[in-house]
Amino acid sequence: MGLRTALSLGLVAVVSAACGGNATPGASGSVEAAATIVHVTITPDGCPPDPSTIPAGPVTFKVANDGASSASEVELEQNDVVLGEKEDLPPGLSGTFSLVLAAGTYALSCPGTTAGTASLTVTAASGGAPSNAPAASPSGAVSASTTAALAQATVAYAVYVRTQVARLVTSTTAFAQAVEAGDVALAKSRYAAPRVFYERIEPVAESFGDLDLRIDGRADDAASADAFTGFHRLEQALWVAGDTTGMTPIATQLVSDVTQLQALVASATYQPAQLANGASELLDEVASSKITGEEERYSHLDLIDFQANVDGAQEAFELLRPALVEIDPALASTIEGRFTDVDASLQLHRQGDGFVLYTALSATDTRTLAQAVDALAEPLSQVAAEVVGNG
Amino acid sequence: MLGRDDTQAVSGGPTATSTPPSAAVPFTGAHQAGIATPAQDRLAMAAFDLSTSSRDDVVAMLRTWTAAATLMVQGRPVGDVENAPLAPAVDTGEAYGLAPASLTLTVGFGPSMFDGRYGLGSRRPAALADLPQLPGDDLDPDLSGGDLVVQACADDPQVAFHAVRNLARLGRGTAAVRWFQLGFGRTSSTSSAQVTPRNLQGFKDGTNNIVAEDAAAMDSFVWVGDEGEQAWMRGGTYMVTRRIRMFIEAWDRDSFGDQESVIGRHKISGAPLGAQAEHDAVDLTAVDAQGHPVIPATAHIRLAAPSNNGGQRILRRGYSFTDGIDPVTGELDAGLFFICFQRDPRDGFVALQRQLGAHDALNEYIRHTGSGLFACPPGVATGGWWGQGLLG
Repeated sequence: MGLRTALSLGLVAVVSAACGGNATPGASGSVEAAATIVHVTITPDGCPPDPSTIPAGPVTFKVANDGASSASEVELEQNDVVLGEKEDLPPGLSGTFSLVLAAGTYALSCPGTTAGTASLTVTAASGGAPSNAPAASPSGAVSASTTAALAQATVAYAVYVRTQVARLVTSTTAFAQAVEAGDVALAKSRYAAPRVFYERIEPVAESFGDLDLRIDGRADDAASADAFTGFHRLEQALWVAGDTTGMTPIATQLVSDVTQLQALVASATYQPAQLANGASELLDEVASSKITGEEERYSHLDLIDFQANVDGAQEAFELLRPALVEIDPALASTIEGRFTDVDASLQLHRQGDGFVLYTALSATDTRTLAQAVDALAEPLSQVAAEVVGNG
Repeated sequence: MLGRDDTQAVSGGPTATSTPPSAAVPFTGAHQAGIATPAQDRLAMAAFDLSTSSRDDVVAMLRTWTAAATLMVQGRPVGDVENAPLAPAVDTGEAYGLAPASLTLTVGFGPSMFDGRYGLGSRRPAALADLPQLPGDDLDPDLSGGDLVVQACADDPQVAFHAVRNLARLGRGTAAVRWFQLGFGRTSSTSSAQVTPRNLQGFKDGTNNIVAEDAAAMDSFVWVGDEGEQAWMRGGTYMVTRRIRMFIEAWDRDSFGDQESVIGRHKISGAPLGAQAEHDAVDLTAVDAQGHPVIPATAHIRLAAPSNNGGQRILRRGYSFTDGIDPVTGELDAGLFFICFQRDPRDGFVALQRQLGAHDALNEYIRHTGSGLFACPPGVATGGWWGQGLLG
């Protein structure tokens, strides 16, 4: 029940209390199946962790304030650096926080108690002190292989971006040639291909100044009529005017802009969080613009863009998935299921190799699509923090 | 205000009680809160459609919702309001630091939830029969129905909105909002300690409402007893919601005398026509010197009177609403979001609305534009969860 996994971390303690203190029945947060659980009870005397020695890897701290009226928080520190904390815990309340911990000695700080601090020992690899986590994965080996998986993901994503942009340049060039030749029908037939490649990696383009505005801006994004350039300026000429007169400079500039993008991504590197955030941004794009038909206002080819945005998000997710499965398998499973739902909703609108025009969708269709995207975007928004180890 | 109504004090009517913001309403109990609870000032109500085919998903969501509701009615966030820089916050934060404001959260299950998707086909109560076509209906399907509903009432609108918003978020992927209604200004009193409020027609609304202190009436007319064939509904009740748009511009032009004839009460005092004080008995037999009924034949309170409806009463707990303007006419889209609770809607709302919809003089000034019917289960016990009797 991934729906509850991340969002219920703060609720698990309450539900447990309501159910008489036992573990949540039914689908208890599968996070805990992979993470070591450390109970920290704040009393007027202090905040000792239980257990006080744990193996390296994912850890969930369950903090409860049992009558310590002068204390209200616990911080996990190492070398005076705060790594995690739970605040706002007056007596009677509880909460959790999760981290991935490497071997070493840590301090739990609880100001307002007699002891003030407590010690937590994290041991390396297998053969360490007994843990209360089911042996789902060898402790200690989790963090090393997760780190490697994440590094691999960012390398693979850089390759993906360069590949998509290379195809973008090729297909844009072919499109521009048709525009410059004045062949409206040919240009229309070549418009969709570069759109797909661009929409798959759009957040990357958006990270380079106003490049995205020049390539993909809409009519009302432009400060003036002369500033309206790029794909949609040409789209307007082709579908509204049905005429490419005067569009040669626009087409030339578009080729120049995507070529510039290619130069920029040639050496770009990415952090794991950027893959996750980029995936979330692509879905936000879908929910706010594609779903309303505002992107392809003249050609109404929005569903092609929609599919491309989802594909780009899915690619980033698939690359992060091996690492995510080690950290939070329930979340990974939930997200996969939601991608399947979105794809299934989109496939209903297939026509030939493409899709029906946006104008063919009913209000119910668009609402169904929007809700499927929202259902996917919510758990996906948890991924960035989890892969960086502080979700 | 042209002047206070002194007859209230004379007749021993209710005096205003202002509930402190810090007041919190217990979540657990034999009955759900938000029904007999003294009506709070603000409403946020959302009907949901379940987008999952999995009964387990529905159960998981209701359990999460129960945990969240338990926190929110105490004025606590559902989870962290801040988070690590890369993680979204668990609670959306706009109620952080706000007092509980008597927040209540009430859940109901619509007929469509029993259509077989979750194996509940044999658990649908007979009383949860689809509302029939009623005279004067102008229902928008997009503003009607729903697999389930959440009613949030509070004295602070931000607290009410926050509750529904966070439940909707927690339900993402299992349930999607079908329609959402904000209400300002209660249009009923549900406690004898409350002053009768005015609705957007300017009339006092709910003078003869069932109040929580009248336990006999609550048992007779509101709470489901052993009569129901579905044990899981005992201690519950049925909610009917009706989005009643008022033609404000036309109503405002109506003469004062005609307004009073339409409703059947004096506008300022709330007294029945022919009487002096708001809580004076409604005399449907009184006639004037010409022999005409003092309370006209088509007056609202005559048609709604229990004596004209086999003694039937319903507990009303509605709110005023305003939703911008009608895009066609440019007129205000505002009115009464009517909410009522009864033991059996077939005898309660449906029977009453058949009468009102056909004959009420008020019909010239209103339209029912949305409708909902929901079975509200009994209260959650400590350690239990919403709908446990049905889905557990």
